[in-house]
Amino acid sequence: MSRDCWPRALLWTKAAVAPHPPDVVAWPASTAEVVQVVRYAAAQKVPIVPFGAGSGVCGGTVPIKGGIALDLKRLSGPPVIDLPARTVDVEVGTNGQRLEELLGAAGATVGHFPSSIYCSTVGGWLAARSAGQLSSRYGKIEDIVLGVEVVDGTGELLRTQDAPCVGPDLTQLLVGSEGTLGIITKARLRCWPRPSSHWMRGIRFATVQAGIAALRVLMRSGLRPAVARLYDPLDTLLAGRGGSGGRIGVPEPLRWIVDGAQTEALRLSLRAPALLNRLVEALPASSLLILGFEGEGPQGADDAREEGEAAVRLLATEGGEDLGATPGEKWLANRYRISYRQSPLFSAGAFVDTMDVATTWDRLDALYRAVLDAVAPHAFVMAHFSHAYLEGCSIYFTFVGLAGAPAGESDVEDLESAETRYDSCWNAALSAACDAGATLSHHHGIGLQKQVFLPREHGEGMRQLRALKQAFDPNGILNPGKLLL
Amino acid sequence: MRGNGDAPVEPPANGALLELVALDRVASMDSATGIARVEAGCSVAALETAARRAGATLGPLLPSVRAGSVGAWLAGPTRGDRGIPGARRETAALSLAAVLADGHLAESRAAPRSATGPDLDHLALGGAGRLCVIATAWIRLFPAAPPAYAAWHMPDVATGVAAIAQLCRDRLAPARGMVRVREGGVLAAMSWEGPESARIFRDRATRRLGERLAIDAGPEVRAPASARGVEIDARWESLEQLARRADVAEIALYGMHAGGAFAVLSLASLGVEQCAEAARATGATVVAPRRLRAAAPSWAEMGAGAIWTRLVAALGAEEAA
Repeated sequence: MSRDCWPRALLWTKAAVAPHPPDVVAWPASTAEVVQVVRYAAAQKVPIVPFGAGSGVCGGTVPIKGGIALDLKRLSGPPVIDLPARTVDVEVGTNGQRLEELLGAAGATVGHFPSSIYCSTVGGWLAARSAGQLSSRYGKIEDIVLGVEVVDGTGELLRTQDAPCVGPDLTQLLVGSEGTLGIITKARLRCWPRPSSHWMRGIRFATVQAGIAALRVLMRSGLRPAVARLYDPLDTLLAGRGGSGGRIGVPEPLRWIVDGAQTEALRLSLRAPALLNRLVEALPASSLLILGFEGEGPQGADDAREEGEAAVRLLATEGGEDLGATPGEKWLANRYRISYRQSPLFSAGAFVDTMDVATTWDRLDALYRAVLDAVAPHAFVMAHFSHAYLEGCSIYFTFVGLAGAPAGESDVEDLESAETRYDSCWNAALSAACDAGATLSHHHGIGLQKQVFLPREHGEGMRQLRALKQAFDPNGILNPGKLLL
Repeated sequence: MRGNGDAPVEPPANGALLELVALDRVASMDSATGIARVEAGCSVAALETAARRAGATLGPLLPSVRAGSVGAWLAGPTRGDRGIPGARRETAALSLAAVLADGHLAESRAAPRSATGPDLDHLALGGAGRLCVIATAWIRLFPAAPPAYAAWHMPDVATGVAAIAQLCRDRLAPARGMVRVREGGVLAAMSWEGPESARIFRDRATRRLGERLAIDAGPEVRAPASARGVEIDARWESLEQLARRADVAEIALYGMHAGGAFAVLSLASLGVEQCAEAARATGATVVAPRRLRAAAPSWAEMGAGAIWTRLVAALGAEEAA
């Protein structure tokens, strides 16, 4: 309850410190109990930090002002599925994978598959504006949610409507509020018949720029892939996704990082991130697009193939080379694994972090290059273009840098220098992203990590944000110190 | 507020009318990315003309939206929503620059999606200018391409509407639909858009609904909805209920998604006021004519009346009478 999966907080754990423990933990089992806790906290002016499964990566649930950690995982009664109406009512403490299993038994899916699905809750998805890996087809969580039940900072209960209503969309003002405006207790989500078939492909492009151009053409064609992820040359090569060649030709220092090499070798290679990044530039550069379509019912396989083949024909006109089904199927089989490969790197004294930014197609390549250049002196960096829309795309950068001593040797002094190196990398990356016109976050949220850049994102919109805080939480008790509120 | 194309508005007794007609520029048009930067007073028709010239389009929109200004569209009851492939809706406003009550200009980042707190654009979208005034917007555009059309005979209007609802629930949402009583029966005509997808989805719909009529369904879809119709936002349950009325003459559908649609509803022998009343009785909200729209936001009905009051005060905005 004193941290989530923010990599900076993992450095705390490595140094055996927990700087922000909550004073108490509450486990409400019903909305009524949430109301009781909030009314108590409002009367006593005690902070409340809502907590789901703790998979956030920005420090959004770190109780920096102490108070009550409100663990919502007991709000996990059985979902009410109405497949003919395409809706499911769910309590926010419900684990993501559990929800999909229950939906699957009813022949349904929400289609929200974040890589954290095993260790995240519906409430966490809504609080942070989460995205799943199939967002091109199903949308992000703000596209999937139809209504929410929320306890505001005064302990009043409100329920937004899954029906036409007049005035500003209250649901969209609450989704993404990271626990600062209200505590979401229930949600109605869109659900769909579960796909009967997946059609997967790998498509290779000569350069990442050619891949970006092709991805734009695909997304504007009206076809709706479930998966459309473009890996930059390094990400393509290191994962062995590049078809013929695989990892052949990858210099030793890069392999040490990706293969979770021995501590000393890894630390040696990360001492010179700029050199590593220059090695990457010399690699043969092809870029891989993982493409997937889905179909439902008895015609599902034919439907998925029909759209897939139309997409492959279209991408061929943009220089895309069809690598067959294997790269796509391999991605599908391994799609949650990467998140669990990071422990050896942290133990060795490295940090691994990811930055999720997004912009429109016209600015995308410039954003990609600007962030690579800015991060190169600080960390080893690679990227993939992970969530594509009609008018733009997100970029998911992965940084690997040297943060401090290996596990067991880290102390408070080491932590201080480790945090400084970590923060330098992030400041460079976020400054470059802001300068390139990108949004600071596509789906991780803001938390503690990005909030100093929030005024650059919103400008005078910070006035609107503060007004929302005054309206929803006049006592200032809900997750204080987040979103600069 | 009033922009180009908007009907004359009487200024409130203790206030002023904000004429935005001079804010009418299409500042940029990028059809490759599919975005245009436009001032709020520009008419939707002028924006569509500029988009078409560049090979792009706003896509199908309700007649009242198409007749008014961009500001009225975004601040109005449809919140700029449009249907997108996959039977979903999203707002056409990629980002907004809005003037706050204290005179500051708040401009959001032009990104396809973001996770940087609440979506602040939603203080302006659908807000009817109560909380802030939209000055400029980045608008999302579709590529312009010939639609695929199809039409079927239906035993009655209710069956036609139910068939379209099921297509939407099965992700085959048309871009436009028209269910119309004609001499000798009921016709359901639809169009699908998308350079590569229109025919695929039209043909899948044909497999569901049976062989389509051997007619050019384009004129049937494009024919203006009855001038006596009322424009509504409704769930499919509401639309199916309205379609079962004996006096239903025509239902034109836009912005369809798995849960419902915008519609122009025409009931034979009933005036616009009675049409609106019938629609409201099913849970629909009125989009046009403007005089029949609900006056106040639905926040109080959702338990957020006190929040609305505090929000208005915090923003320094004042409720118009």
